[in-house]
This record gives sequence, structure tokens and C-alpha cells, in this order.
Amino acid sequence: MLSGVADARARFMAGTRGRALNATLVVLIAIALVLLATRVVALGPAYFIQILVYGFANGSIYALIALGYTMVYGIVELINFAHGDVFTLGGFISLTLLPIFGLEEGVSHGPGIILPLLVIFVITMVVCAAVNVTIERVAYRPLRHAPRLAPLITAVGMSFVLEGIMYLWRGPFNLHYPSVLPSDSISLGGANGPTIGFKDLAVTTIAVVLMVALTLFVGRTKLGKAMRATAQDRDAAGLMGIDINRTIAATFFIGALLAGAGGMIFGLYYNTLTFDLGFTAGLVAFTAAVFGGIGNIQGAALGGLIIGMIQSLSDGYFDTAWTQVLIFGILVLVLVFRPTGILGMRVPEK
Amino acid sequence: MQKRYLSMASVLTAIALVAAACGGGGTGAATTTPAATTAAATTAAAAGEIIIASDFPTSGADASSGLPAQNGAAFAVSQTPSYKGIKFTFKPFDDAVNGVHDPQKGAQNVQQMLSDTKVVAMVGPFNSNVARAEIPIANQGALAMMSPSNTNECLTQLFPYCDPKPAALRPTGKNNYFRIAAPDTVQGPAMADYIIDTLKLTKVAVFSDNETFGKGVADNFVKRLQSKGGTLTNRSDFDWKTTNDFKPFINAAKAAGAQAIYAGATSATKACIVRSQMKGIIDAAAVPFTGPDGIGDSQCIKDAGDQAANMTFTNAAGEATQNPDAAATIAAFKQAYPKKEDLGAYTFPSYDCGLILVDAIKRAIDAAGGKVPTRQQVVDAVQATSGLKGTVGTYAFDANGDPKSATMAFYKTTGTPLDWAFIKQFSVQ
Repeated sequence: MLSGVADARARFMAGTRGRALNATLVVLIAIALVLLATRVVALGPAYFIQILVYGFANGSIYALIALGYTMVYGIVELINFAHGDVFTLGGFISLTLLPIFGLEEGVSHGPGIILPLLVIFVITMVVCAAVNVTIERVAYRPLRHAPRLAPLITAVGMSFVLEGIMYLWRGPFNLHYPSVLPSDSISLGGANGPTIGFKDLAVTTIAVVLMVALTLFVGRTKLGKAMRATAQDRDAAGLMGIDINRTIAATFFIGALLAGAGGMIFGLYYNTLTFDLGFTAGLVAFTAAVFGGIGNIQGAALGGLIIGMIQSLSDGYFDTAWTQVLIFGILVLVLVFRPTGILGMRVPEK
Repeated sequence: MQKRYLSMASVLTAIALVAAACGGGGTGAATTTPAATTAAATTAAAAGEIIIASDFPTSGADASSGLPAQNGAAFAVSQTPSYKGIKFTFKPFDDAVNGVHDPQKGAQNVQQMLSDTKVVAMVGPFNSNVARAEIPIANQGALAMMSPSNTNECLTQLFPYCDPKPAALRPTGKNNYFRIAAPDTVQGPAMADYIIDTLKLTKVAVFSDNETFGKGVADNFVKRLQSKGGTLTNRSDFDWKTTNDFKPFINAAKAAGAQAIYAGATSATKACIVRSQMKGIIDAAAVPFTGPDGIGDSQCIKDAGDQAANMTFTNAAGEATQNPDAAATIAAFKQAYPKKEDLGAYTFPSYDCGLILVDAIKRAIDAAGGKVPTRQQVVDAVQATSGLKGTVGTYAFDANGDPKSATMAFYKTTGTPLDWAFIKQFSVQ
């Protein structure tokens, strides 16, 4: 199957039209890169480093969302469209919990905020995970053997249901997320030079810790092994005594843990949330997962980081209206030359 | 066969109803001719009712500015329950879809108004891009539109960059659209003057939400800023729906030494989130955050969080509390609408729009000999408005539908908790 596609692709690429198409894309991206380079030079190195710092934090958040997409796709070959909204839900839940734990606008940024923040993190993640497992149980499991389009549609449906619930819960307004993290920053040289903010550090650290934990979990534990086995061949794994339903539920659970954390980090970092945030964020994160190679955990993390970085560079040097064009232009290019993504995809064998 | 009986029955019922409306005075021969039936029906309506509609975004994120405006118009109409036996009714429409003002929805609302013959005029819309969709439709039905808050200059005046041009919005060639707000050619430059002359700052970073209103007002701001010797440090036109990270823009502003920020955007298009993200990068106390009337609501203060101090906006209409003659009206309004969120920056401008329409319709009724005027007669009466005193201005309109003189007011965040407070206003011609 895969080789047939590869052959067709090879034939298309060798043809005149394929080459012309690719040449155009390459030229367009090259123009964008040249433009970017001239602007980078014009605005100086300090600004460039600053943008890279933002890109890293931005990418970390996308990576957290992308992991959930990639894990679910890797194990059941389903694009869980509701995943982006589970991410938003994480932001909403933590926003509700913050005042309960006494964290409000203007609270002192001492070490006293660490413990309540950690507790809120855990509650948010677990609630999001529970929601995602429920979605799996209600909307995906009954359709596991149905035609592929059916669960895709229920996934889109669940996405709208979640957005609707959040709309009714907090309204369509931009919600202000209190800035509880200190806004101190470390200067990287120069009075007007680039800085690494405490927020940037916190966001990146939390994301990296979670991703390392995930890698260890999938690589070292029994359940992780079951996940890998189920992803490779569901029927054979079942025959070996692995509880397939439990393993798939666990995948949704873990994916949503990360998305929930991502939602809360997003709020803490950007100080804003809207009920439909997950739509675009989810789409970009899914792109990141495909970019890195769908089903591949390291690929999703890398893809998220790269896309976050591209986004920040584009936001920083061009108008933001160009950002999506640039991201998806690069995506098309990467997929044309590497259809399986940067690190290669890992999906169930057929 | 059965169908024919049915239609005959309905004709008979109609005749009976008309006869009843005329007090049973009609002779049998007269009521059977169709022409007489129509004439009788018109007389029946003339004795009855006129509807003044309104179109504002009154649900969702935009409701914070749309509802107070609707209240103003409703209150104005409610003060004149009838004139010469003709009842005046107010009928509000909502042009928000998913909480945001929607040009298509606005256009549908106008279609609906046109289909109801009692609707002779409307107050609204609130947003310039909604107006752009509504004017051509209302124009073909000669429905008078009276907006308290539309500020885009291309709605009424021809500039080389206008697309579509004002003439294209008026397929019949006649104007049916009026407004009392000063256009963006005034609002943007007014803030540029304020920053340079009053605040004595010259380097400004500008962003916009890339919408009709936001981009237009930002362009006009930049033009005046540069013509007065100020410097535009950097500019971004955000795709506001997908952008949440404004830090690159803020950093570019900081690197270029911006002394003030101008937002060509509204609270609903994330203008004030930019302010909140300035935390830790630019000192809010030192760098004022300025913008057009679109940021002048409580949502903006919420969004800006702990960075809400030192923000200023221009309102393209005057402040009613500055007019001693308006005190009684304000008091009466507050009695009818006691909640704090009932009252917004555009409540009294909208009240004045209602007032202008009521005044024009009364004159049109007089001119039509005490009967319900046609829509075109109402449009002509609005155009003829002269020296009408409202709560925030005195009104007369030029041939484009623009006010002959408008007021520009400035508001700044002050007090604890922070809220918008009036600073000053001036009249523009």
C-alpha cells in the first residue's frame, strides 16, 4: 500500500508538472527566507534572540498538544478533533481554580505560589484526562469497527460540543487569565538586549519535564509497552492478553493530561483565553504532529517546537496574516519530500 | 376545485375584515373592486403604526457595546408613543453571530425590515463593516439608516483607497444613510494630535486588527502622526482570530524606543490583550496605550489586567454629561435602565439617532397630510434635519449623510478600581 503511494509520488515528481509545482514552492519559500534574512539583519541580533526565546516557549505548548494527537493517531488511527478543545478546557478549568486557591491578579509572586499552582496543575490535568476518556468511551469506542468516516465525524461533533459547553460556561468574551507568574527576566546582555523571562523558563521547563516523563512512561513501564504493542498490531496484542480497551483509554488519558497542562500553561503565558482557541491551536498542533511524523512521539515534540519557532519568527518579522501561509507552505514542502514527516510515521501495520 | 373555493373564501374574509375596519360603511359594489380594497387597506395602516427598527450586536462579546446603544434608541422611541394617531413602535434586531458582529446577519436583518412595510427607518448599525453590507440593501428599499457609531470614512466619502466606493454602496444613486459620529479621518488624527501636542511624545508603535474599522483608523493615525513630525517605530496588522502572541510586536516597539502604543482595533478583536502582554517588557506607567472608541468598554479594562492604567481612547461622539440640557434625559434614562452595564459610551449618541428619526418622521407625517409617509419621504425628512438639539450634539447633515459638525471626546483609565473617565472634548467640522 505504502509503496504504491510512494511509486505514484515518484512518478508525479519525475513528471514536468510535479517538478514545476515543486520548483514554484521552493522558490516561494526561498523568497520568504531571503526576506526573513534581510529583516533579521535589519532589526539586529538582540531582537532575533528574543524571538527565538518566544518561539521556544510557543513551540513547547504546541508540542504538548501535538503529543496527544500523535499518540491517539498512532494507536487507533483517529484524528481526535476534540483534542484541541480539551486543551482549551485545561485553560478554562485552571482559570476557575485559580481564585479558589487564592491566586488572583496582583498576588505576590513569591515562592508561596508554587504549591497551589502545582495542585491546580494536577487537578486540571486529571479533569481534562477524565473528559477525554469519557469522549473516547462515548463517541469513539462504539464506532471502533465502523467505517473510518464515522468516528471522524463524531470527533468533529465532540469538538463542537466542548466548544459549545465552554461558550455557555464563560461566554464568548476574551477571558483575562490573571498574570500570577512573576514577570522578572534575566538579561542576555545589553541594556535593551534580549531577555529570558521567568515565564519563558517556566513554560519550557514544565513542557520538557512532561515530555521526558512521557517518553520514560512509554519506554519503561508495562502500560507503555502495552501501548506500543497495541499501536503496532492491535489484534496480535489482544491475543497476547493485553486489554485493548484499557490501553486505548490510557492513551486518551495521557494525551489529555498533556493537553490540559498545555491549556493552563497557555493561559499563564499569554494571559488570555477564548472558548474557540482550541480550533486553531489544535489544527496547528495536528500539523506539528504530521510534520514530525504522525504516531512518533519524539517527532511530535520536534514538530511542535519547529512550528512554534516558525510561527514566532513569522509573527516577529512579517504580518501575522502570513504566519499560517508560511507554516502550511513549509508543511507542504516537507511532506512532498518526506511524506512520512521528519522522523517518520509510526502507525499500525495493516 | 377545492383550492378555488379556498381562495374565494380568503378573499371574502379579507373583504369582510376591510369592511369591518371601515366601520361597515363601504358599499357592496365598492368593496369588490381590488383597487378599492388596497386603498382601504392603506388607510387602515395609516391610522395604525410605524416601526423604528434598530440593528446592533446585542449578544456575545459585542453585547458590551451593542446593548447600551440599543437601550438608547429604545428609550428615544419610547418617549414619543404616537403622533397624530399613528403609533410609534421600536423593534430591535441583533446582528451578532457567535458573539461577534456579522455583516451577513446584518444584511439579513435589513431584508427582514424591508419586508415589513411598517418599518420606515432604522437606528444602527454599530460596526462599519456591517454598515457596508447593509447600506446597498437598505438603499434599494429607500430605508433611512441612522448610525450612532459608524466611523469608516469610505461609507460616505470618496477617497482614492476606498473599496467599495460610496457610490457603489448606493445602487439607486440616492443617499439613505446618515450618521452622527465623526469619521475615522477625524478619530485617528485626533489621537495623533493628542499624543504629540498634549502628551509631548513623538515615537509611536501602531498595530491593527486588519478589519475595515481597525486598519482604517490606524492608517489615518499614522498619516497625521508622520505629517506632524512624529515617528512610526513599527507597525503590525494582526490576523486577530489566530494571533495570541503579541510579544514580538511589543519587543519590536521596545527595541525601537516607542513612547506610546496606538491600537487600531477593538476589545472584541483582542486590542487590550496586547496591553496585558506588555507586562515585564514595557513599563505601562511610562508608555500610554491609546486607541479608538472600539477599546472604550469594560471588556478592555478586564483584558488589560494589571496593566490597565494609563490607557486613553477617543470617542467619535460627545459626552452627554457635559451638556447641562441633557441632565433630565440622563436621569430619566437611568430610571428606566438602572443597571450600570445598561449605559455605555454610545447610549446617548444612539438616543440622539432615535430622536432625529422620530423628529424626521413627525415632519414627514405632517408633509403627508397626517398619513403614514413613504420610506423615501422619511429619508428626505432626515436629510432636511437642521439645528436639532440632542443630548450630545446639534444635528444637520451634508449630502453624503455625514454630520455637519461632530464632537470628539477623550477618556482615560483612572481611579480604583480603574474605569474610563472623561478628560476633554472638542468639536470638529
